[in-house]
Amino acid sequence: MLRQFQSGGAGQIQMQRAGQAMAYHEFYQDDFRPRDHYRPMWEHIQTTGQQILGAKARDAHLTLHTEGVTFTVYSNDEEGIERVWPFDILPRIITAIEWAQIEAGLKQRIRALNLFLKDLYHGQRILKDGVVPPELIYRGKDFQREIMDITPPHDIYTHISGVDLIRDEDGRYLVLEDNLRTPSGVSYMIENRIVERRILPEFFARYRVRRVEHYPALLLQALRYLSPRGAEDATIVVLTPGIFNSAYFEHTFLAKEMGVELAEGRDLVCRNDKVYLKTTQGLRQVDVVYRRVDDDFLDPLVFRSDSELGVAGIINAWRAGNVALANAPGAGIADDKAVYAYVPDIIRYYLGETPILPSVPTYQMTDHQDRMYVLDNMEKMVIKAVAESGGYGMLMGPSSTTAQRAEFARKIEENPRNYIAQPVIQLSRHICYLDGELESRHLDLRPFSIYGSDIEVVPGGLTRVAMTKGSLVVNSSQGGGSKDTWVLAD
Amino acid sequence: MLSRIAESLYWMTRHLERADNTARVLDINVVYMLEADEGATEEMQWRPLLTIMGADELYEELHPDGRVTVQRVIHLLTQDRNNPGSLLLSLKLARENARVVRDRISSEMWEALNEVWLSADKHLKTTLQPWRAAEFYAFIHRQVAAFFGLTQSTMMRGQAYGFMALGSLQERADMTARILDTRYHLLLPDLKLVGSPLDYYQWGALLKSLSGFEAYRRKYQGGIRPIDVVEFVVLDTDFPRSLAYCVDGLERALARIGALPDGAVPERLAALRRHLDGATPQGILDLGLHEYLDDFLGLLADLGTALQSDYFEAHLGDDAQ
Repeated sequence: MLRQFQSGGAGQIQMQRAGQAMAYHEFYQDDFRPRDHYRPMWEHIQTTGQQILGAKARDAHLTLHTEGVTFTVYSNDEEGIERVWPFDILPRIITAIEWAQIEAGLKQRIRALNLFLKDLYHGQRILKDGVVPPELIYRGKDFQREIMDITPPHDIYTHISGVDLIRDEDGRYLVLEDNLRTPSGVSYMIENRIVERRILPEFFARYRVRRVEHYPALLLQALRYLSPRGAEDATIVVLTPGIFNSAYFEHTFLAKEMGVELAEGRDLVCRNDKVYLKTTQGLRQVDVVYRRVDDDFLDPLVFRSDSELGVAGIINAWRAGNVALANAPGAGIADDKAVYAYVPDIIRYYLGETPILPSVPTYQMTDHQDRMYVLDNMEKMVIKAVAESGGYGMLMGPSSTTAQRAEFARKIEENPRNYIAQPVIQLSRHICYLDGELESRHLDLRPFSIYGSDIEVVPGGLTRVAMTKGSLVVNSSQGGGSKDTWVLAD
Repeated sequence: MLSRIAESLYWMTRHLERADNTARVLDINVVYMLEADEGATEEMQWRPLLTIMGADELYEELHPDGRVTVQRVIHLLTQDRNNPGSLLLSLKLARENARVVRDRISSEMWEALNEVWLSADKHLKTTLQPWRAAEFYAFIHRQVAAFFGLTQSTMMRGQAYGFMALGSLQERADMTARILDTRYHLLLPDLKLVGSPLDYYQWGALLKSLSGFEAYRRKYQGGIRPIDVVEFVVLDTDFPRSLAYCVDGLERALARIGALPDGAVPERLAALRRHLDGATPQGILDLGLHEYLDDFLGLLADLGTALQSDYFEAHLGDDAQ
């Protein structure tokens, strides 16, 4: 699958080249011809011409800049750097047939993971039946003993999920990772569409593209469905860590789109196991909290006691059934990267079905044989910390230095449960319009699903692009860009 | 104040308000038609705009084949010289009236208005292409907003201001009622689709045409329901494009101007007020929204006639009737 690659001298950073020729190309079927569903777009690019495309790319950037569509990159100083959302004007197009399979696969996966969470926090049948090793769960950072036996409204834990998909050399969609805690990116999916419509309306005329902008309405519906006091007059808030959080733009966006309050921890207070919003008219009871604050910081009485971002007593209010939390605390154990390897078994165990979307082969560092193999072949592997996200705590083997590999080897030996390894998968590529040239870049896809009275997958998602030539890292925090994602109606 | 000046102030803002509404309604449609809509044809998407703008008959005359297309509707409503209600002509008339009253408005207002006319005229020398349209409408919308913003911050509050407010609010009430009437009746057969994405987008388009989508969402957490839309668009005095808000504003404007002792205007305005007072969303729906709005538009037209006879025709003398 991977070509051996000449390792440079110590300290010299090598660009990833291995297997470049084998990566699936979303746009081209061979050196010259675009795939059928891209042909109308290709003809349009030809007739539009460089100059106009360039002007449109500038317009797009300007629009995002003016509208303040930004994300924050954490840096060493307190503030973080606010950057304009990077956007490539050429859309990524997914056919109706491909989408049908993605949708079915995601629904199946989320249903199973949700049953898995319910089981873990109640009877733990799956551990007793030996399908998933108990120590894997008990040592997981995101397994929250504090919430054992709490039953959330309608038994839903994963209200909002963003499952990352990639395509292998044959164009098959694989699941790369599950994000079930506080997945972000949906606001950028919508903003990308708004910008694309403004700057390239003539592209749309050639396709039947499905809509994505009702996502906030679906989210609101799902949140209201959870309200302990009935959906009719439910008070719902979005709980944000505040303006320094990297996804703060998204928090404001969703609150505005749903027409609900955007609250910080200090705006909420608990009394008698109920959660209240401090308003100019006094305290107002809150029914549903869409929290974008991590478990650790959510409630200083239960989790980290030094957290100033949470609400003291919110977990007890949740336990008492007076407030609904989305996503449920403790959901993170199901997207732990070491648990990921067991998801196909989890699907078979709870649903009795064959997994529709395959996974990437995963080596467990807690397994002696796996660990030895990985340590011997580090330059062919991607090594990930199990509970990190945003591309942090990751080693890209092929482009790593000897020193970096040595450091990761040490970390793995110290805490094997904290790491997994996967072979480097060549993400699929797509053309991008960069500085006046059409260039190919690697990308992935994060569709968003909402679990309310049923599971809905919004037809589209966030396509993230690795803007650096040859790079396989698409995370925005690591300099990734994005594209509008079109799912075709037929 | 001279009747002629009063009349020009009134028509300046009325035409400007119309241009703004035309741009907004077209913009929402242009942007919304880009994505796949289960089962909506071009005709279904675009005919309502002709109805809202009262251009159905004119369209028939110009296009005997009866086909409704994006290109044709955009052209007719934006720049067709045969259409007295086109966006371009509205801007032209707004500017001509502004020239008459240049000494009554602040120079910033004049410049803003002149600039929007000049750019629109230049832009529309050629046919506006549908994929260029959204950009153009958004520009017009911003420019007109700038004019009204400058009016708020630089114009003396007095009789002149009163006539400007009358023109703008009368046009706004008229447009709001037409938009609600037309769109609502298209959506009503789809009540079985409530809650589906299509429904969300269609009702959303109605509210967006009135710049009220975000405000509505904040106020009504239960999604988009017909009865709430009626309450919001007809009766909500806090929503600056609602019928109730417009009538409140017309009353305030009349207070600035001062009513004539034997004038027809106060009685006409009182009739509008009676039409709104005591109305409930459920009551309106029971009576029939279309009938209710139709009556409202009738009363509004009567007010226009009364303004004409009370204030603008006075300079023609008694024997000019």
